[in-house]
Amino acid sequence: MTLARLALMVVLQAILLESVAPFGEWTRPQWALWALFMVPPQAGAFTKLGAGFLMGLGLDLMMGTYGHHMVAGTVLGGALPGLHRILAPRDGYEVTQKPTLRDLGFQWVLVLSLLGAAVFHLALMLVDTWHAHLMPGALLPALTSAVWTACCCLLLHLLIVPPGRKTNG
Amino acid sequence: MRNLGLLLQRNAFLLTFLLLLGVSFGVLVRHDGSARSSWFRAAGGLAAGVEGQQQQWRDYLELAEKNAALAEQNAQLRSQLLSMEREGSWYLDDGLGWNVTTGMLIKGPDGLARSMALGTPGTDGGLTVGMGVLSNGVAIGTIVDVGERYSRILPMLNTAGTWSCRVGRTGPVVPLQWEGRNADRLTLSDVPRYTRAEVGDTVFTSGFDLLFPDGIPVGTVHSSHQSGGSDFKSVSVVPLVDITSVRHLEYIRNRSDSERAVLSQPLPEP
Repeated sequence: MTLARLALMVVLQAILLESVAPFGEWTRPQWALWALFMVPPQAGAFTKLGAGFLMGLGLDLMMGTYGHHMVAGTVLGGALPGLHRILAPRDGYEVTQKPTLRDLGFQWVLVLSLLGAAVFHLALMLVDTWHAHLMPGALLPALTSAVWTACCCLLLHLLIVPPGRKTNG
Repeated sequence: MRNLGLLLQRNAFLLTFLLLLGVSFGVLVRHDGSARSSWFRAAGGLAAGVEGQQQQWRDYLELAEKNAALAEQNAQLRSQLLSMEREGSWYLDDGLGWNVTTGMLIKGPDGLARSMALGTPGTDGGLTVGMGVLSNGVAIGTIVDVGERYSRILPMLNTAGTWSCRVGRTGPVVPLQWEGRNADRLTLSDVPRYTRAEVGDTVFTSGFDLLFPDGIPVGTVHSSHQSGGSDFKSVSVVPLVDITSVRHLEYIRNRSDSERAVLSQPLPEP
């Protein structure tokens, strides 16, 4: 299910959703991150790392940006276990809990989306600009894009797995 | 080996992360020109830095050997310089006020006590009596008579001549003469016994006879002899050139020669 969701979001982003950027470079959305955020927090660290790498690989293959999304996806995949650990409830995650609004709450989803998107967009900004003197100018658009991506992920949460609806994935 | 396995197992996630990141960067560098150029520049800079550091260490470690080689080279150069100073050569310095005319020796001294030498040119070349005669920068005599085309030279190999010299550039002024026996030996007489005259020391003109400027090399010390109880010693000198067989000559004259001659005369009796 996770793999199918990743593949679907990668294809959708590459073909259709990438252009949903109302303020140009200030709001570059990364819709595929939602599929990565939907990886259960109870999953193993290697699973999350592999998912991040595969997501980046898929995005690069679909969008022709060889290596850029792979680096960012790998960084996010490597950071995701840490993020899950930081955001874990006091008693830990229950086996049946999914990373949705209904199971883990709005705050958890929002913080994870913001932090995850920030990690991804900052890594992407680094490899996109590459030169140190260009990075200060690219930092703010990366952060606003991270916020925009977090908003998009929240929107997908609301549309696909709303708080009142029981998840089955 | 087991510990290595445990270490790898404990850090498997980190290693996997680094591996995937390396693969990602590899793809990025391979396909992104900007990233590739930056990568190569950074890698080149790093390699150059490492190489420079290694070279500095190599230089530091080889410092003693290089120092020894330089010391040896320095000793050789000093030796060469000393040899050159001993061999001696005098070159015209216009600032000293001396004119030089060149000529040829057509008859050298034959080794007899009173033999003279003959050279060209004469008055047609501007020569005058009293000019110093050099050969290859070494003092060998003075002009005592001038014809139209030839000049008579009193060489140092003549017992009638006495030349004002000193051992070294700062030694006491003493007369140099030829004793008429050996063409390879001149003699400095009345040398104060405190004068250092080591074998090989160069003997220079003092300039006090007004024939030559001071500092023109004449010969080198061969030996010194001091009679028992005497305050003076005699020094045997080997000429720097073979006066009997020289060919090319330089005649020198001070531009203020007449003025010097007048002023050097004793004061008239009142």
